[in-house]
Amino acid sequence: MTVSLTIENLSAHYGSTQVLKDLSLSVAAGELVSLLGSSGCGKTTTLRIVAGFLQPTSGHVRLGDRDLTTLAAHARDIGLVFQNYALFPHLTVMDNVSFGLKQRGVAKADRLVRAGAMLERVGLSALADRLPSALSGGQKQRVALARALVIEPPLLMFDEPLSNLDAKLRVDMRVEIRQLQKANGTTSLYVTHDQEEAFSISDRVAIMNAGRIMQLDTPEVLYQKPANAFVARFVGFENLIPLTVKARDGANVTAEAAGGASLNLSQDIFGAIPDRFMLAARADGLAVKAVAGKGIAATLGTRTYLGRAYQYQCSTAVGDLVANGTLSEPLEPGTAAVLEPVAEQCCILAPEA
Amino acid sequence: MNKFAKWGLTLPATIAVIVLLLVPVILTIATTFDEPKGPFSTYAAFFNSGFRVNILTRTLRIALITTSISLVVGFLAAYVIAQMPGRLKSLAIIAAVFPLLTGVVVRSFAWLIILGKNGIVNDALTGLGIIAEPLSMLYTEGSVIVAMVYLFVPLMILTLTGVLEGIPRDVIEASSSLGAKPVATFLQVILPLAVPGLIVGAVLVFTGSFTSYATPQLLGGERQMMMGTLLYQRAMVTFDWVGASTVAAIMVVITIAIVAIMSRMARRLNPMAV
Repeated sequence: MTVSLTIENLSAHYGSTQVLKDLSLSVAAGELVSLLGSSGCGKTTTLRIVAGFLQPTSGHVRLGDRDLTTLAAHARDIGLVFQNYALFPHLTVMDNVSFGLKQRGVAKADRLVRAGAMLERVGLSALADRLPSALSGGQKQRVALARALVIEPPLLMFDEPLSNLDAKLRVDMRVEIRQLQKANGTTSLYVTHDQEEAFSISDRVAIMNAGRIMQLDTPEVLYQKPANAFVARFVGFENLIPLTVKARDGANVTAEAAGGASLNLSQDIFGAIPDRFMLAARADGLAVKAVAGKGIAATLGTRTYLGRAYQYQCSTAVGDLVANGTLSEPLEPGTAAVLEPVAEQCCILAPEA
Repeated sequence: MNKFAKWGLTLPATIAVIVLLLVPVILTIATTFDEPKGPFSTYAAFFNSGFRVNILTRTLRIALITTSISLVVGFLAAYVIAQMPGRLKSLAIIAAVFPLLTGVVVRSFAWLIILGKNGIVNDALTGLGIIAEPLSMLYTEGSVIVAMVYLFVPLMILTLTGVLEGIPRDVIEASSSLGAKPVATFLQVILPLAVPGLIVGAVLVFTGSFTSYATPQLLGGERQMMMGTLLYQRAMVTFDWVGASTVAAIMVVITIAIVAIMSRMARRLNPMAV
């Protein structure tokens, strides 16, 4: 039952605009992979091609050993959960859920049993006779989920399923989706623009930009070791500092930033450091020190209280940076300070072209 | 907005409906019960006359056939128009509605020219040698139905295009993702969701054709008399005001009954519909 999804060299155009550029991706059997990116990055286009609503200019979509590329949408056997729920407004909750079974020629008695069991699983048995217009947003999305799951599809796809729900419900629903998906072991593709949602629900996340996958990895790796500047910025590395190596001494490297600031970095922590590179750091990864030391000279600007630390907007010779200072010594705006990288919280990236 | 203002705003329309519509209709119908031979004597006379019952059944038949044909033709056209891209869609709607810019009499008259003894159709058919003698197509039920379909299809297209455009793309995609073939999606999703539009369209066309006067007068003549032409004849030719009022009352009752039946059928197809 569980099969893998393989997307090979997919390209797509809207008119003369290329929206997908040679995109390849594979989702292992039973795995949940998210496509994460801002609007226009191509994540929804990818999903629509896999669903069969759009034809790619080139490339292939395979589900297990079936080639879906030219198959009509209704013959693909994919469960889809839509952003706007897309429930049939003229059918009751029960009829909505059993719609897919009816199309598969399942006998009425059997339909009622299977759809009833699925409604039970999403906790909506009591509402089986209601019309969608009499349901709340969360209930509608549960019906949509039940409707997609009851046909036991080899592939489930989610198109921003939670973005019309309020914050609290979003968290509950994503836990529920994950539980159902894991229990069934259904291979899943999940499209979202919400990083927290993608990271919390997925086995792996593909961060997309301008029709390409920038990095496909586990949430942990994406969060700690972004592969490039785009992903680094996306996952919250506010500071990207271009550096040039000036001296190497065994594992220790001395690198210089614009304006002459010199930093000591160890290859034991960062791995091999190329001659030109970028140091990526979140605000946590740059420590504000009032005493002179090795680091980037900065003039402190606005101070914000974060609860666990003070955060400072800093102006430096390499540009504006964001850094955190300890709670024990609040510093006034205008103070001259030094920003020291906290090695464990930083990472090394290739310079941007 | 307070209660008074809310009611106050609807007051002019309410007064107009009461004074100009309800009162005259009630007065008209009231005269039919005020007969020396008994309250229902004029109705008995109407239904005892084979000639008049014939006119009633003909009117019903023509109105129902016109409505059915307009539903099918209008739905197909609207379905195609609803899928068109923006600019083309506007053009198609303008083209569909264009005939409405001229009057009913003018448009009915056009069919006199098309269907007449020396009309375009007969000229073409005799010219091509398909027929030797011109066909007499005028003053038949067929000519009345053709003209009425032509008159009412634009209304149907307008109503249905709006409704079909309002069906979200998501819902149709959801249907096919669940395995429904195009025909199943059409029958189980699109058609039921279009029901509100189909009722509005059917009611508009039915009431329009059931009560029509100019078209049957021009294209049906004396031979294909309908309720509208009968009413005119009673009131303006024979000055039988009570007889005319009786025809009017029967028309009002039948119209209301048919509209009620249509809404009931619609509710069975789509519980969301009115």
